[in-house]
Amino acid sequence: MTDQIKIYIPKETSACSVGSDLIAEKINLLTQDHKHISIVRNGSWGAFWLEPFVEIEINSKRTGSSYLNKDISQLSSIEEFLDDFNKSKPFNILETEFIKQQTRLVFSRIGLHDPLDLDEYFNSGGYKGLENSFEIGQQKTIDEIKKSGLNGRGGAAFPTAIKMQTVFDQEARTKYVACNADEGDGGTFSDRLIMECDPYSLIEGMTIAAYAVGASHGYIYLRSEYPLAKYFLTEAIQKLKSRNLLGKNILGKNFTFDIELRIGAGSYVCGEETAMMESIEGKRGLVRSKPPLPAIKGLFNKPTLINNVITLASLSAILMQGKDIFSQFGSGKSIGTMPFQLCGNIKQGGLIEVPFGITLNEMIYDFGAGTFNEKPLHAVQIGGPLGIYLPTHLFDTPLTVESLIDLKGSLGHGGIIVFDDSTNMTLQAKFAMDFCQKESCGKCTPCRIGSVRGVELIDKIYNGTALKTDMILLEELCETMETTSLCAMGGMTPNPVRSIIKYFPNEMMN
Amino acid sequence: MFTAWTGVLKNGHQTIDNFKLNIRQIIQPFVTVKGGLIPALHKVQKEFGFLSKESIKTLAKSFNISDAEVIDVITYYDDFKLEKQGEYIIKVCQAEACQSLGCRELWETLRSHFQLEQDETSNDYMVTLKEVFCLGNCALSPSVMINKDVIGRANSEKILSYLSTRQNNSKND
Repeated sequence: MTDQIKIYIPKETSACSVGSDLIAEKINLLTQDHKHISIVRNGSWGAFWLEPFVEIEINSKRTGSSYLNKDISQLSSIEEFLDDFNKSKPFNILETEFIKQQTRLVFSRIGLHDPLDLDEYFNSGGYKGLENSFEIGQQKTIDEIKKSGLNGRGGAAFPTAIKMQTVFDQEARTKYVACNADEGDGGTFSDRLIMECDPYSLIEGMTIAAYAVGASHGYIYLRSEYPLAKYFLTEAIQKLKSRNLLGKNILGKNFTFDIELRIGAGSYVCGEETAMMESIEGKRGLVRSKPPLPAIKGLFNKPTLINNVITLASLSAILMQGKDIFSQFGSGKSIGTMPFQLCGNIKQGGLIEVPFGITLNEMIYDFGAGTFNEKPLHAVQIGGPLGIYLPTHLFDTPLTVESLIDLKGSLGHGGIIVFDDSTNMTLQAKFAMDFCQKESCGKCTPCRIGSVRGVELIDKIYNGTALKTDMILLEELCETMETTSLCAMGGMTPNPVRSIIKYFPNEMMN
Repeated sequence: MFTAWTGVLKNGHQTIDNFKLNIRQIIQPFVTVKGGLIPALHKVQKEFGFLSKESIKTLAKSFNISDAEVIDVITYYDDFKLEKQGEYIIKVCQAEACQSLGCRELWETLRSHFQLEQDETSNDYMVTLKEVFCLGNCALSPSVMINKDVIGRANSEKILSYLSTRQNNSKND
């Protein structure tokens, strides 16, 4: 008898962006008369420089090889493909340094199997978290999360359990859980990876959250730039409904929970929680002033638990394996693991889930292997468009929530963008203001007008027509925006600008 | 190739009344949904390619709000269009990760190739060119999205060959 062969070809945006669909199509053609060969469209391992990373499993032995820039369109038989694969020195990705150095708690399943295969999800502990939560009850579920030390992974690092407790304590007949999947920060993709490669873990996490706070309806607000994530979430919700894991009497318990998927429409600010609520309500995505807090008066004026994708997916892992899997790592506001996203001008970019505290040097050299174009490193930007730029002499900074606050920045959603020495830092500073100008919701003056003035001032510096007083003016503008804007959009836009003035002073004076 | 109007024209000559009826049917499932206006706008735009005056009037009526309120929402969001778009909407990422590997130069190249500015559509309605901020493919920068397909490690040759392959395929159909 011929051995059964499984060929894994990822179906995930980054892999598809470099041709993994074309490979799948071709292999599908070649294997049509081969009953012993099956194709699995798995998620990505998050090692994107290898994509399209094709793996073959024979006799439970799974090895893979990168098909980047490999043309297989001329192959005439599957034997030819397998022969070629074996000659390419395939390796087990779990044994690579990139994966071995990570602690994947929340991303433990990505890449392993077909993300929509529910049985695989159950086999890897899926829905154990919800079962455990049902067993210990609402308050103890919140307590468990409190003890785990989980803080929100969307950017603000607010303690998740406090939000949950607040919503739980509200006496209201209707409460909501809203998942913020409007991952708009440049240089981030961890939410997308969870949604495309392990969507059930997000939905299970949302269900746990809904049970704990007493909500019966949930929204996922997904950005429109992620059509593949939309596909996976839609399919996942459908499958869970048909298996009674969404809807009425989930797992036989008197608990009802439904999820509605809402698609954004290209607005960055709608990733801010109050603007997101406006958008879900069908309005312009204008920021609301707080208070009232969403946990007290949120969506449709009801108590609403709003969390980012990674935060909610973390709930499944914590409730499945216990609080210690998180609380064993780190301290203060930096407890557990953080999925960093290493990208930009980097050789080995991708998803790196490690405990907080890793240094930029370790991140860039041990994981990233240096710049993509081999030019000397010059700067990194941490935490999206509102994050600070750091020069190479600060690359020994440990990546924790606290250390970034000390540097007047923010770890944000964990994006790390690498730049080489050909980068014009004045242009980067101008972009920060320009981005704010283009994406501001327009509700408050410092953000709406301050950003326009900021672009003008930095343009003068770039063109060499700035006066000495213009630098003072720019600093005053930054202070005004920081202290008087309604939300983080205007309030944190000065951060990248100031960091460039501080750490790259010679490059900011033209 | 005029996808924007195929909803009306594919059955031959539809009257404006039929068109309104058609839109009303599309909108109907969203009217009772809380905050259903944005999903309805997505759906109408998907069917007709953009949001025409007629569809705005019908949306307003169905949701029992004024035309101005519908336009208010439409004009806030980048995705919603009041004019017909190109068959291929080319979104060139201009965010930081892509900047680190030359997306500004790529934008200039594409801009001069198509002779289009930001958010402009070619006269033959084949191409709309747009700058966007982050497609979530930041480890394989620079990134470009054409309709629903993301292209990583993008350069102008890749973009143009993608377009010519698609155009040849649709000619052969």
